[in-house]
Amino acid sequence: MPAPLDDKLERDLSVGTARLVVLATIARAAEPIHGYEIARQLAAEAPEGLSFKQGTLYPMLRTMESEGLLRSALVPSHEGPARKCFTLTADGRRVLAAWNDTWRRTNKWVNRVLGGVDELR
Amino acid sequence: MSSADRSAEEHGSLDAASVDPVRAYLVRLELALLGSDPALRHDALIDAEAHLRAAIVAGTPVMQALAEFGTPEEIAAAYLGTSVGHANMRAACDEVASSQVPSLAPSSSSSSSPSSSPMLAEPQAAGKKRRLRDIPLIGVWFHPVAWRALAYFGIVSFPLATAYFVWTVTVGSLAIGTVPTIIGIPLIVFLLGSARALSLFEGKVVELFLGVRMPRRTQPVAGVVGDGTTSVGFWRRIWCWLRDVRSWMSLGYLVGNFPVSVAMFVVTFTLSLVSFVLLTLPIVDLFGYPIGHTDHESDMEFHFFFSEVKPDTVGDLWLPTGAGIPSFLAGLLLLTATLWLVRGMGWIYGHVVQAIQVARPQPSLRP
Repeated sequence: MPAPLDDKLERDLSVGTARLVVLATIARAAEPIHGYEIARQLAAEAPEGLSFKQGTLYPMLRTMESEGLLRSALVPSHEGPARKCFTLTADGRRVLAAWNDTWRRTNKWVNRVLGGVDELR
Repeated sequence: MSSADRSAEEHGSLDAASVDPVRAYLVRLELALLGSDPALRHDALIDAEAHLRAAIVAGTPVMQALAEFGTPEEIAAAYLGTSVGHANMRAACDEVASSQVPSLAPSSSSSSSPSSSPMLAEPQAAGKKRRLRDIPLIGVWFHPVAWRALAYFGIVSFPLATAYFVWTVTVGSLAIGTVPTIIGIPLIVFLLGSARALSLFEGKVVELFLGVRMPRRTQPVAGVVGDGTTSVGFWRRIWCWLRDVRSWMSLGYLVGNFPVSVAMFVVTFTLSLVSFVLLTLPIVDLFGYPIGHTDHESDMEFHFFFSEVKPDTVGDLWLPTGAGIPSFLAGLLLLTATLWLVRGMGWIYGHVVQAIQVARPQPSLRP
């Protein structure tokens, strides 16, 4: 198999899952959370070998805010200027629940199919 | 001199020995985003600077923070991908989702993702709108921005501009008058702060009505210095405000906007009203109602589309025979011209406000 295809699945998956994990990170935060903290948590929990460019998080946040999934507010910071912190809107929570459900069903289905492949090894 | 050269020049030499790496990165990011929407470029720079500052404060070495953030080219691509339209990203997500949940999936998956159905409908609806908008001359009827610009100039802009003007002139006069005393300078600072806030608010209103994108982020007043940061005190912040060209541009806008808004209100309101009257007169006549009433003893003469309008025995005025269609067509033509006018003015207006908000101040803190 040609080398460029080796990481195609990873690239494709990251497109679909990035927004899901960002929404989930914001949802589980006890308080409004700013971009850097979201990036830090995602990086800390990313599996070994899977990296993402933290800067790509911001256009995603802006898109989701314009789509009504997130709400932002400037929160004063002791370490410099006010930071833009995010929370989920009601629509954001609903969409997260739906995506979560989709992800779990997909994951279950893929695992079931891949189980058969593992046995062939 | 190309815009890239100018941008580089604005930010000074890129000599690695003398330039803070974060600022050098921001220059490269700005260059990578050249040609994109100024407000988007502004947001990207503010996002990057805020993130890198936070990372450095948290103890991440500068070069590591830059590497983790992504190259300017990667970040520019991410922003430009978004700006092209949300549909692209959503389509990409849906493409992945649909390829991962094919029809072989259990029947419970038929609910699919929440966005899949709208995504199937959106391109068709968008295509239809595009076709209608492409019609020469009357395509403007199908431009929501044109109608929103009509609402902005005919309803929203005038009271807002009046309020801004009254506020600025009142506080400004008070500040200038009390300059010899101790409260004059704080009042000027207060005026500048309020001008910045009102300008940001106006930006949101303009974006909503005129469709010109405004920055989502305000520019910070702190700068990154080497591996650490310098906190900004109250007086330093005020000094930054005074040095920030946007403060003075905002103040100028709040004052200068008033006569322009009044003129645009008068023009828009008059043209819209005349268009509305011309369009509705034939409809009123069609339903058997008079188009006006006058004292039947009056000697006044009325003319409408070269036909004399005479009051009947009770003083009612009726639309002359044959004037209905010309009236309706004239109303349609005038309203179309009005929509083109407000759309054009809206574009100019929106970009003036955008220029104020994306103006880059001098770096507030130098290494």
